[in-house]
Amino acid sequence: MAEPFRIGDRVRASRVDPPHHTRLPRYARGAAGTVTALLGSHPLPDRRSRRLAADPEQVYAVAFTAGELFGEGDHTVTIDLWQSYLQPAAAEPSGAAAATGDGQ
Amino acid sequence: MGRINDVGGMQGFPAVWREQDEPPFHADWEAHVFGINSALISRGVYNLDEFRDAVERIPAQEYLAASYYERWLRAITMLLAERGIVTEEDLADG
Amino acid sequence: MSADHTGPAAPVAARVRRLEGMLEERGLLDAELLDRALGEFLARASPANGARVVARAWLDEGFRERLLADANAVLPELGLSMGGGLQEQQLKVVQNTEDSHNVIVCTLCSCYPLALLGPSPTWYKSEAYRSRVVRDPRSVLREFGFELEPGVAISVWDASAETRYMVLPRRPSGTEDLGEPELAALVTRNGLIGVAPV
Repeated sequence: MAEPFRIGDRVRASRVDPPHHTRLPRYARGAAGTVTALLGSHPLPDRRSRRLAADPEQVYAVAFTAGELFGEGDHTVTIDLWQSYLQPAAAEPSGAAAATGDGQ
Repeated sequence: MGRINDVGGMQGFPAVWREQDEPPFHADWEAHVFGINSALISRGVYNLDEFRDAVERIPAQEYLAASYYERWLRAITMLLAERGIVTEEDLADG
Repeated sequence: MSADHTGPAAPVAARVRRLEGMLEERGLLDAELLDRALGEFLARASPANGARVVARAWLDEGFRERLLADANAVLPELGLSMGGGLQEQQLKVVQNTEDSHNVIVCTLCSCYPLALLGPSPTWYKSEAYRSRVVRDPRSVLREFGFELEPGVAISVWDASAETRYMVLPRRPSGTEDLGEPELAALVTRNGLIGVAPV
């Protein structure tokens, strides 16, 4: 897992399409957004739904622009996401980052 | 993978249909499904995440055709059957 | 609640009764407790609670600020809470302003501040709402008869984790002389979800 994020950090949602329950909606996969709030720590549903041990991890409110999510629209969508779903994203995408569309 | 419940942004659904002055539950059985689920989760038969997972595992066409509480009932019976607590035969008509 | 024992729902009603009976036989639920808990839930939780919170916030600036900072902490001031369910739900109130409007959804299922507002409307749980409001909220609002001015920014909140969201609508103009109960009577469930102005 990445280091804990702070409000204002740019983050990118995982691209993974998991073969199990998750609370990362498909429409946010791979999208970059901004952390706007810290929402407490809770066990990861991906693990809880399979009765796997799950320590609480930080949940973040992450604001995405409609453009980032759908390529059009002028609204924002804030999605509440667990630490495990997120990686840091470059604030200003470099050529390389834009080409792969990915953090590490 | 890309489960049927994960519909945010999906195209093809119609205008939002809404009922005027709808009651909290449309029938006793809906309220009882709600209550049964609360009771079973409180007792630890399964947890809320397992319940959501079960709803999502309803076969896609069945999921879309079912009403909200029909999905709940389907998920509850699925979880109980998987735990050997009740079987489909137990619940069959007649 | 209507008990439909003869219509198309009859088979499913019988199925639920059979299930409940079996679970009671196995000691996994108590039918009387279930009925009582349901009754208590429906008596306690309703949109009127949200309306009272909104009316108080309109009248009391300090309450409004505390509500926006930590909603769970201020609900007891009105004798309300997000508890009584499986666990206390975390509530976040988001306020509409002259240039920003908020709409709530749970695209993945139907998460909603049940403990405060009672069961959500069927449309909120529908694929139509859940799929479309994150992609084109303005069109969805239009279907509800709500034409939002072009300059107003829309924030959609997808309740995908443990937090439950409620909208604090803008106080309508011309209501300066109204008291708290009259103001509360103006607030609708649709306004608390964000598909209506109030």
